[in-house]
Amino acid sequence: MSTVHLSTRQPGALALFWSRARRNKGTAIGLVLVLVMVASAILAPWIAPHDPLEQDIIARLEPPSDTYLLGTDPYGRDILSRILWGGRVSLFVSTSAVLIAMVVGSAIGILAGYIGGKFDRVTMACMDVLLSFPSLIMGLLVVAMLGPSIVNLILAIGLTAVAPFARIARAPTLVIKEREFVEAGRAMGFSHGRIMGIHILPNVASEVMVMASLWLATAIRTEASLSFIGLGVRPPTPTWGSMIREGFENILDAPWLSIFPSIAILIVMLGLNLLGDGLRDATDPRLRHE
Amino acid sequence: MTATLLEVNDLQKTFTVRRGFPRTETVHVKALSGISFRIAEGEAFGLVGESGCGKSTAGRALLRLIEPDGGQVLYRGENFLTAPGHRLRQLRQKLQIVFQDPFASLNPRRTVGQTLAEPMYVHRLGNREEIQARVESVLDEVGLPRAAVEKYPHEFSGGQRQRIGIARALVLEPELIVADEPVSALDVSIQAQILLLLDGLKVRRGLSFLFISHDLGVVRHFCKRVAVMYLGRIVEEGPTEEIFDGPLHPYTQALRDASPVPDPRAKVTMARLEGEVASAINPPSGCHFHPRCPHAMDRCRVEYPKLRAVAPGRQVACHLHDMAA
Amino acid sequence: MSEQAPVLDVQGLTTEFRVHGEWHAAVRGVSFQLARGETLAIVGESGCGKSITALSVMRLVPQGAGRIASGRVLLEGRDLVPLSEPEMEKVRGNRVSMIFQEPMTSLNPVLTVGFQVAESLHYHRGLGRAEARRTALALFDQVKIPSAARRFDDYPHQFSGGMRQRVMIAMALACNPAVLLADEPTTALDVTIQAQVLALLAEVREAYGMAMVFITHNLGVVASIADRVMVMYAGEVVETAPIDAVFARPTHPYTEALLRSIPRVDRNTTELQAIGGQVPAISNMPAGCRFADRCALVEPRCRVQSPPLTMLPDDPRHHVRCWVRGGETSVEALQ
Repeated sequence: MSTVHLSTRQPGALALFWSRARRNKGTAIGLVLVLVMVASAILAPWIAPHDPLEQDIIARLEPPSDTYLLGTDPYGRDILSRILWGGRVSLFVSTSAVLIAMVVGSAIGILAGYIGGKFDRVTMACMDVLLSFPSLIMGLLVVAMLGPSIVNLILAIGLTAVAPFARIARAPTLVIKEREFVEAGRAMGFSHGRIMGIHILPNVASEVMVMASLWLATAIRTEASLSFIGLGVRPPTPTWGSMIREGFENILDAPWLSIFPSIAILIVMLGLNLLGDGLRDATDPRLRHE
Repeated sequence: MTATLLEVNDLQKTFTVRRGFPRTETVHVKALSGISFRIAEGEAFGLVGESGCGKSTAGRALLRLIEPDGGQVLYRGENFLTAPGHRLRQLRQKLQIVFQDPFASLNPRRTVGQTLAEPMYVHRLGNREEIQARVESVLDEVGLPRAAVEKYPHEFSGGQRQRIGIARALVLEPELIVADEPVSALDVSIQAQILLLLDGLKVRRGLSFLFISHDLGVVRHFCKRVAVMYLGRIVEEGPTEEIFDGPLHPYTQALRDASPVPDPRAKVTMARLEGEVASAINPPSGCHFHPRCPHAMDRCRVEYPKLRAVAPGRQVACHLHDMAA
Repeated sequence: MSEQAPVLDVQGLTTEFRVHGEWHAAVRGVSFQLARGETLAIVGESGCGKSITALSVMRLVPQGAGRIASGRVLLEGRDLVPLSEPEMEKVRGNRVSMIFQEPMTSLNPVLTVGFQVAESLHYHRGLGRAEARRTALALFDQVKIPSAARRFDDYPHQFSGGMRQRVMIAMALACNPAVLLADEPTTALDVTIQAQVLALLAEVREAYGMAMVFITHNLGVVASIADRVMVMYAGEVVETAPIDAVFARPTHPYTEALLRSIPRVDRNTTELQAIGGQVPAISNMPAGCRFADRCALVEPRCRVQSPPLTMLPDDPRHHVRCWVRGGETSVEALQ
């Protein structure tokens, strides 16, 4: 090649991730699980066999059958349809919450680590206070104060995850800011913002991404827990958590009410955890070009 | 005599360290107790000494990578230390740095092309084509293939990475490069390759260097003048050949004698220095070197000797030479 | 050649490492003998196999990743290669000791230095606690640790690099070894401290009548400590000779080029010559001479066939592996 293309980016991280995912069974399985669950949630309006709110008074608490593949609840609503629709809410809430936490948390962590000194100590002390609340309690407090709604739920779950993201972003920042390429950047007149955004952020991104995939799983669980105790999205909108709770009243005669949404949560969490590991490998440049 | 490019006057830096547990104490480490030197246009000036003598701190402090506590750094007469933000950014183009560790000094997640283009982009030095052209010419100059732009640092060997580090320092067309142990981490044969590359830059571009090293042989090869540092101070300064052939300060003598020479007949001259470098936290009174000095006198224990001229271009801080002068 | 049997006799040592599932020789066919009281310097750049050679002698090649593929390591006439790990543990730190570049990693940070030296005496020589402590203290004095009694109960981090290396030497001497392997012991030290440690090593070698293998990349250090030099390149011995011969008449093109690439403190180097290119990767060794690609004297045959280690006609102790510069008599054929 004679000419130089400065703008050409590396075989994108994504492309690389695909090629890696195909070689690594765990990652591939994780990816498929997550994609299937996400797709089915998105496509719920088209693929759900019934209206999730439609009550069939005759078919109450029916075990799985041809008409109702996963059975029905005490109001005669189709469990499968409710899981599909509930996935929309659960996944939307947890993804938004984790995105917010990721952006805010990483920014705080990188700033604290980079600036250091008193700012770092005070900020991280605040994060420790946040961290000391179990996420469920924290979510409970926020929702109790603001009232249950989707937005508040997102804020509540997001808030519980800010501190861990700040911690996870700060640790590598402390190491990287001492690396000489950061000094070289300063010697060349780069602004602090540029150094943090272009030189430090990509180097902490892999840790943050892995954390995000793991916290997504936690967020789904927190959402479910909050819904379970009735502080989530208000009925009749289905979410996985509220479905499990509703199922509890009939756990002995109709266990499928709770079991199937639990399995949905389990599948997503398993997929996310497998994906998180794959992501960590793919984003590490030292592991590329073997 | 050529014009002075960089003048460093009384540069000072004290680090404050909190240590100990559970009772923390604050200690002050005097890394630089006021050092001064000048570098002429196109001159390579060496700064030698053992670890902890402050030579690296000096290089970083004069570039304001570590904010110095006091002193002046005059670049063509303009004080770099008090320059306001926008002017500082302009001046920074003229003073660049090459680091010791070719692994830590490059961002592992940026391609060589990105690393080399970024400074020009930040300083708005030309459009995309011009930046590309400059990147290519700098790669040619440091002896790397143009295809290197697409690659990541970890795909290169230590020597090649050091070439990338040098290329990065060159893209802004600096006038002075602070080279902090640029060949210390490299194998002997690679070290010579990099030294020859730097030699070429000195001649072709007329670059000035502040060359920081612990290896006297390398300094003798590369630098016309040299300053020897011990515990944050310059103890001797002058033309490299004169200093290494006829060191005046007892520390310079010891350093020279302890430097291994690839010649079995030279080993008999190895005079050995007793003791270790004293702590910079609590340096000895008087001349910092007196506890290890074979010629220490009473006066050395109380009074720090001033750095004074003993011959044209030669300065030494030692009471032995006070009397002679 | 030597009057008495060598303390250490390494014969045809080949050590392999696994790279992408295939075994490649990091050290190939290395042989050397070491007489009592002799210092052999193994010189070379990173990746030449000098450290692997020492680790192979100690049988410390990381298991799984590396293995001794062939060869014998005779320590006082006994082959170490077939020994089991428990048997080897009795040899290590007893008849043969090793010191490393970074003593901090070899010392346990949570135990006092004195305890660690005494422990080694207790373990290997079966001394009682009190006696081990007394002997350790004597060793501290011998390696010239100032106010040894006061510093005996300090922790490793309270010692400077030079002092830690002295502790390592004391520990290595604890059992009066026949052979001391020193792997770049002064590389991390400042020059004035390096000079002190080199002097100390020469002194204890004399006092204990040990043989020493000194591994370094620094030819200046070699000149000041070694009796004999073995130059390695890409896993092979390319030149062996008594110290004076190597510096006065470097014969292998690599040795010669190496000496020309070192700027000297005691005189002006008018012409610094670099060796172009790089050491070939372990998994991608050329067919012929491994130095051929970087050699100024390269001939067609160098790229086809690997040259044997040969004896120079006028100096039977000077061995060179080179088609162009080497002699007629192969050393391997003689053995």
